[in-house]
Amino acid sequence: MFLVFLVAPLVYAFWLSLFSKGLATGTTFSGIGNYVKAFTDTEFLGGLLFVVVFSVVLIPLQMLVSLAAALVLDAVTTKLARFSRLMIFVPYAIPAVIGALMWGFLYSPGFGPLAQLFGLFHASAPNLLGSHEVFGALLNVVTWQWSGYYMIIIYAALQGIDSSLYEAARIDGAGPWQIALRIKVPLVASALVLILVFALIGTLQFFTEPQVLAPSSNGAITPSFTPNMYAYNLAFANSQINYASAISFALGLVVFIGVYIFLFATRKKGRIV
Amino acid sequence: MTAIGIKTADKAVQSVRGRAKPKPRIGAHVFLIVLVIYFLLPLWWLIVASTKDAHGLFSGTGGALWFDKTFALFDNLGLLFTYNGGIYLRWLGNSLLYAVSGGVGATALAILAGYGFAKFAFPGRRLSLALLLGSVMVPLTALVIPTFAMLSQVGMTNTIWAVILPSLLNPFGVYLMMVYATDAIPDELLDAARVDGAGELRTFLTVALPLLRPAAVTVLLLSVVGTWNNYFLPLAVLSSDNLFPVTVGLGLWDGLANSASGTGTTSLWSLIILGSLVSIIPLIVAFLSLQRYWRGGLAVGSLK
Amino acid sequence: MKKKALIALVGLAVVSALTACSSPGGSGGSTPAATDKPQSQADKPSNCDNKILYPSATRVSLWGWSPTLPVAVDAFDKAHKDVQICWTNAGAGSAEYQKFSTAIAAGKGAPDVIMLETDHLNSFLIKDALVNLSDYGADKWKSDFSAGTLKDISSNGGIYAIPDDGGPVALMYRKDIFDQYGLTVPKTWAEYAADADKLKSAGGPAIGDWPNDTPAFAQAMFAQAGADTFDYNINQKTSLGVDIDNAASRKVLDYWDGLVQKGEVVTTGQSSTDFVSELSSGKLATFIAASWEPGHLTGAGFTRGPGSPWRVAMLPQWNADSPVQVNWGGSTYAVTTQSKVPHAASEVAMELFGHENQQTLGAHFPQHVKVQKASWFVNAEDPFFGGQKANKEVWIPTADAYKGQSYSPFQDYYYQQVTAMLTKTTSGAESSKAGLSKLQSTIASYAKAQGFTVKTK
Repeated sequence: MFLVFLVAPLVYAFWLSLFSKGLATGTTFSGIGNYVKAFTDTEFLGGLLFVVVFSVVLIPLQMLVSLAAALVLDAVTTKLARFSRLMIFVPYAIPAVIGALMWGFLYSPGFGPLAQLFGLFHASAPNLLGSHEVFGALLNVVTWQWSGYYMIIIYAALQGIDSSLYEAARIDGAGPWQIALRIKVPLVASALVLILVFALIGTLQFFTEPQVLAPSSNGAITPSFTPNMYAYNLAFANSQINYASAISFALGLVVFIGVYIFLFATRKKGRIV
Repeated sequence: MTAIGIKTADKAVQSVRGRAKPKPRIGAHVFLIVLVIYFLLPLWWLIVASTKDAHGLFSGTGGALWFDKTFALFDNLGLLFTYNGGIYLRWLGNSLLYAVSGGVGATALAILAGYGFAKFAFPGRRLSLALLLGSVMVPLTALVIPTFAMLSQVGMTNTIWAVILPSLLNPFGVYLMMVYATDAIPDELLDAARVDGAGELRTFLTVALPLLRPAAVTVLLLSVVGTWNNYFLPLAVLSSDNLFPVTVGLGLWDGLANSASGTGTTSLWSLIILGSLVSIIPLIVAFLSLQRYWRGGLAVGSLK
Repeated sequence: MKKKALIALVGLAVVSALTACSSPGGSGGSTPAATDKPQSQADKPSNCDNKILYPSATRVSLWGWSPTLPVAVDAFDKAHKDVQICWTNAGAGSAEYQKFSTAIAAGKGAPDVIMLETDHLNSFLIKDALVNLSDYGADKWKSDFSAGTLKDISSNGGIYAIPDDGGPVALMYRKDIFDQYGLTVPKTWAEYAADADKLKSAGGPAIGDWPNDTPAFAQAMFAQAGADTFDYNINQKTSLGVDIDNAASRKVLDYWDGLVQKGEVVTTGQSSTDFVSELSSGKLATFIAASWEPGHLTGAGFTRGPGSPWRVAMLPQWNADSPVQVNWGGSTYAVTTQSKVPHAASEVAMELFGHENQQTLGAHFPQHVKVQKASWFVNAEDPFFGGQKANKEVWIPTADAYKGQSYSPFQDYYYQQVTAMLTKTTSGAESSKAGLSKLQSTIASYAKAQGFTVKTK
């Protein structure tokens, strides 16, 4: 019953994606027509290219921040470290909608902190949501939101390592850096792979942050900025439910292939199912 | 891999104390302080901004990261809880209702399904699993309209059930429980219980359930956070604003503040900012006070 | 799927049968609620934002976000023992439209009465989502609205929505800045550009804003210059006239792009809070705005009363001898075809704001002609404009002269594409000519793909 409840909307959505309907025409069966259209649709492909490039930049950055934070927290056990651990994690508890809203205000060239900073030098602040800057602006929001969560996962895995390994390494003359890179990182590799898969799925389906920031971007974040936004706009703003379903499934397919290739590359294939 | 994973879950809490303390290093601390400032900056802004009135917000004297000369926090608070008949409190209550019922329900279902997948062979198991994991790959937006159509067929759109029922489905929670149950519950233990004459239900309740507790706490926390922070599902299936959870309610105000014709003469921006602050406090407090419970459980995620 | 379509068809048939049976023109004395099928207790909408005064009466669900609604709904419920409104704020603008579209697609879940902006009426008419109110006696209200308003709410001779708030467009300006730099209030766009030069050479602030993200404003400017972009009528549902790439629109784009290039006009997005901040801190000398804008800005903490620096004047003209006035925004109330109580719902749509003594809140500008002639309204002094008699001097004459505009049956898509074009033309990446001709072909091919026969003028 559990699966039926989950699968039924999926099947229904897939069924919808096989039909097409224009505003001025009736519904007709079009088979894979919508899919052919999707993979030749420049707006869909453009959005897809964006999320792929975005993933390639974002995920290593995020991993680096969270891994570095986790390694430091694992090595240092002062009060400050314990406090930091909690604070870095706090953004995870904040809804993405509110997170994006806050950063939207902070990015403001008119009354954000940057405006003040640049005002000191009598220069005007850059518009961080302009068409060139928006990539970095979004990168920052997502890193801020999720790094803490990933950090905690890596940290927990680090805490699980048998500390006698470090002793052995120290006797062999390894310094703290070597211990971190040669022992700790390889031992938490499975946690890293898991995070990568999450991050990849999440980023390819990127939606909430650009959607929330779009109104403040003066057109720089277009309705087809990411494939998921495109599907959403097609379905809700432009009433093209059939095509929107097809876009969603096409995206699902891309995500699936992406994750599979990734797992294959890290020789983890078959373990996820 | 698996062996390490299990240890991870068990040791995460205890090993904090059991480790020899290396000397604190300055570089590490500077790094941490920079990180903390970065991660707290938006929150600091939120706190400062919620003490401002609309004028202070857009053209105040203190700048973005400091207080304005007018301190309007208490006026804002008063307005927040009384505006539109105190609808904000209702939203908070709704969020609590959805998060708790959705979270508890999702956890219960995840335990049952995860345990079932892990310990019983049934026809179609592999297919069901593949579908379960495949469903994580298809974006939610595709499912909103079919879900809406299905709910409206049974007359449940615009009721609390339209939010709670879909929230019960947490494929990731099921996956987590399955992985955990596979490793944490030895088959021999189950067999022994069965030999002793315990029924399946009894075996599950007395033998399996206690062993699953660390993972259950984690799934519970993740589902509560997931439901509390959910935005698009309630946005799509609810139309009465007095059923909204607080995220959708704030979204409604944001839309009204920007739509020009919607605001009348009340400053919604101050309300949105203060409303955001108030709405994130319960989750932050819950996280900070419950960290002993969830930190160990999160490590379950690294099982593979 | 098929079954659902069938149900929808039957539903439509019932509606039209009811329509056929009811006496046309529904005289004011009868109780329209009585002509609807009796409403069962279970069918009564619940979770209302307002208090229901007469629980046994027919209940009509209403979606809307106007700040005037709490007062208007209570007044209506008090005056009608047989019909009660159950009001819900389902979101402002597109948030509400998206919910309505979902409900239309699902065949269930729409309210009886819905607040819609005029520019979106065609987008829902094409989905057969709105009831022809002329069948429920709306024609007798015709004399209460100006010709322009009437054009906006009618299609093929039928009335599909009852207007409430209007959006006459005018020139808001900062009196202090104008005084400081010795500017005169411009009557034409040439004078406006001259003022802009003067400000610039004196080191003053930018004269105004030309945003990418406010296509409805750009469209109003195109219309003022004489563009008649769309031609659509529901009696020929699948036929659409498109005339985007025309001289008038090119003139408007070139004019504003020229000012932008000279650095005399900024390009801040108007749905960003930055724009509000720029307006409030004196970085802009003027703001081309609709009548609802003062209410919006009051919410952003703008000064009211004698200390307010803002004043309002008639919109500058291309040709001062034959002025053209335009409208931006404005809301109406329509009855949905999903309503099971269309008579009661029509009564709500027609009478909610259909009386002349309505008290206006904020910067509500009623389209009802009798209200526009009431002396309390004409002589009202607007504290936002430092006590200026804004209704008398600007908003009423602008609304009077408005001739109506034309909208497409996929207005949201059109607006998205206008924004896409503006991001290119305003930044100088594309000429107005190239931008408009690309927009023309994008819209034409979209319309064709949607099954329309496209006529280009």
